[in-house]
Amino acid sequence: MSNVNSRDRQPALRVRDPAQLASIARSLRRDVIDLVAPTGQGYVQQGLGAADLFAVLYFAELRLDPADSDWPDRDRFLLSTAHNTAIFYATLAARGIVDPVAVRDYCRDGSPFEINASERVGTAIEATLGSLGQGLSVGIGMALSARRRLSPSRVYVVLGDGELQEGQLWEAALFAGSAGISNLCLIVDDNRMQVEGHIDRVVSVAPIAGKFRAFGWAVEEVDGHDIPALLAALERARGCHKPTCLVAATMAGKGVPSLEGLLAHNLKLPPEIAAEALTALDETHGGEERK
Amino acid sequence: MSEADHRKSLEVADFNARNAAAAGAVKHYGEALLEAARRDDRIVCLTADLTLSTETDPFRDHLPGRFHQVGIAEANMIGIAGGLARSGEMPFVHSFCVFVTRRCYDQVAMQVAYPRANVKIVGVIPGLTTMLGVSHQAIDDIALMRALPNMTVIEPSGPAQVRAAVAAIAEYDGPVYLRLKRADGTEKPSEASADFRIGRMRVLQQGGDGLIVACGMMVEIALQAAERLRNEDGKAVSVVDMATIKPLDPALADLARRVPVVVTAENHSIVGGLGSAVAELFLERDVHVKFRRVGVRDTFAEGGTTPYLFEKYGLSAEALANAFQQAARGAAV
Repeated sequence: MSNVNSRDRQPALRVRDPAQLASIARSLRRDVIDLVAPTGQGYVQQGLGAADLFAVLYFAELRLDPADSDWPDRDRFLLSTAHNTAIFYATLAARGIVDPVAVRDYCRDGSPFEINASERVGTAIEATLGSLGQGLSVGIGMALSARRRLSPSRVYVVLGDGELQEGQLWEAALFAGSAGISNLCLIVDDNRMQVEGHIDRVVSVAPIAGKFRAFGWAVEEVDGHDIPALLAALERARGCHKPTCLVAATMAGKGVPSLEGLLAHNLKLPPEIAAEALTALDETHGGEERK
Repeated sequence: MSEADHRKSLEVADFNARNAAAAGAVKHYGEALLEAARRDDRIVCLTADLTLSTETDPFRDHLPGRFHQVGIAEANMIGIAGGLARSGEMPFVHSFCVFVTRRCYDQVAMQVAYPRANVKIVGVIPGLTTMLGVSHQAIDDIALMRALPNMTVIEPSGPAQVRAAVAAIAEYDGPVYLRLKRADGTEKPSEASADFRIGRMRVLQQGGDGLIVACGMMVEIALQAAERLRNEDGKAVSVVDMATIKPLDPALADLARRVPVVVTAENHSIVGGLGSAVAELFLERDVHVKFRRVGVRDTFAEGGTTPYLFEKYGLSAEALANAFQQAARGAAV
């Protein structure tokens, strides 16, 4: 059990300036390319698309202490679409939670930084997900525990819209709505992409917002690249007496003109495209100095 | 309708509760769980619409803040339990054996077994013990759970052992599958001692002519079969209660070396359960012995009373004694 000091603790870093967060997101996008380019393994389109979400979550929203990953009252983050790791690891490294040098072994044999995030990485990975549909249930368990212990800890689960096709997700959504689990926030990375292409050509999940409302959730529909809107929605979620589902419309490949909107789940990244992407990310956003 | 009336109507509607109440059964499991939870603040209880059937009503009534009714959604229940365990709780999850194993196997693998989560998976209705038929008959649950790395699999043989097993798994840090026959008032007080340790077999009687290795309900039937063999054939047969199927007590290999015949007995498929585990142990330890498995012989069954089904599917004391005699003669299965 944690003490009062633990509960009052705030992370040192809490960026609220949208311009600064946008700059962080651009840097994360470059890191996505850098991580994937050496082996061509990893999910580029999803990572570029979710960069703004990760920047806002890890640099503005989550109560975390990189120096104390076991802090009992930390917020929990679960990436249910656990294959979207290029952006996830880039974010963890940028936030000082994992070793930025070790991350460079991404997808190499023997590295804990596998495509599908597992707890081999360490405590930064709160649960081994990736078998789609499981993350929200695990998050509910963590939220119930926090509630029982009167902890201010909140739980954030990110999943993709395609994952909503899994039945377990709806068991979990039903339970969370019924039980009023208000310290839970689900973020749907609504990129309309799954392995076989556009979601509506596979099995449509629309309307996502209406479904969650019917299941007893508060729903926020936002542009997943509108940082002030994301900040405001997360702020409202924190004060809500219901679980919140934030439906964030994202664009696959965001930030690299030649990749934007390309629904390529398993896009391989040849060196020339990687180089072009890095140039584009520099040029289109003022050419900030690369690290 | 008041909340109290509503709750009463639910209890009346519960067929298992009605049967148990009629038999005046003591809730050995339910009481043991409550006792363990009072000792250990980390224990929380989850059930999937089967509170009375899984004897978790004492927990619900006495520790409501630590009780979670998740509805008919076993996959979600296992995921929630994984999340609770990762936050330091010790969840005991409950349903029928078939629904806490086969129904949610991937969830158990990924959220309980892989991370070695401190989750106790508790099932009732083992094997062929239900009128409800094939949908509710767990004939492969031991095989499924045994195949998962990190999982401990326990099937106690009677009320005292149930109580002891609950206390033991609450002390143990890691995932456990506990397979229970729910008390129905017919249990014999002397059938099992409270002497239970995870991973340790119990030799109930010793004889040099052979060995029967059993778990759960088949322990009592094994004792009856041994009695039959003594009376009808003058054979002295050892009987082992192998309440922990995984990890299997390797001391069994040494015991088996002293006899010419070994027969396993389980209320489960012969594929992947106790018999398979024993066979694997023997082969890798170079134990050469006449060997037979008694169990459900790789077939689905149907609904019926337990005595009828046990007779039909070869789980009776007579069938077990016959299997032993056939093995001794070297007759083909």
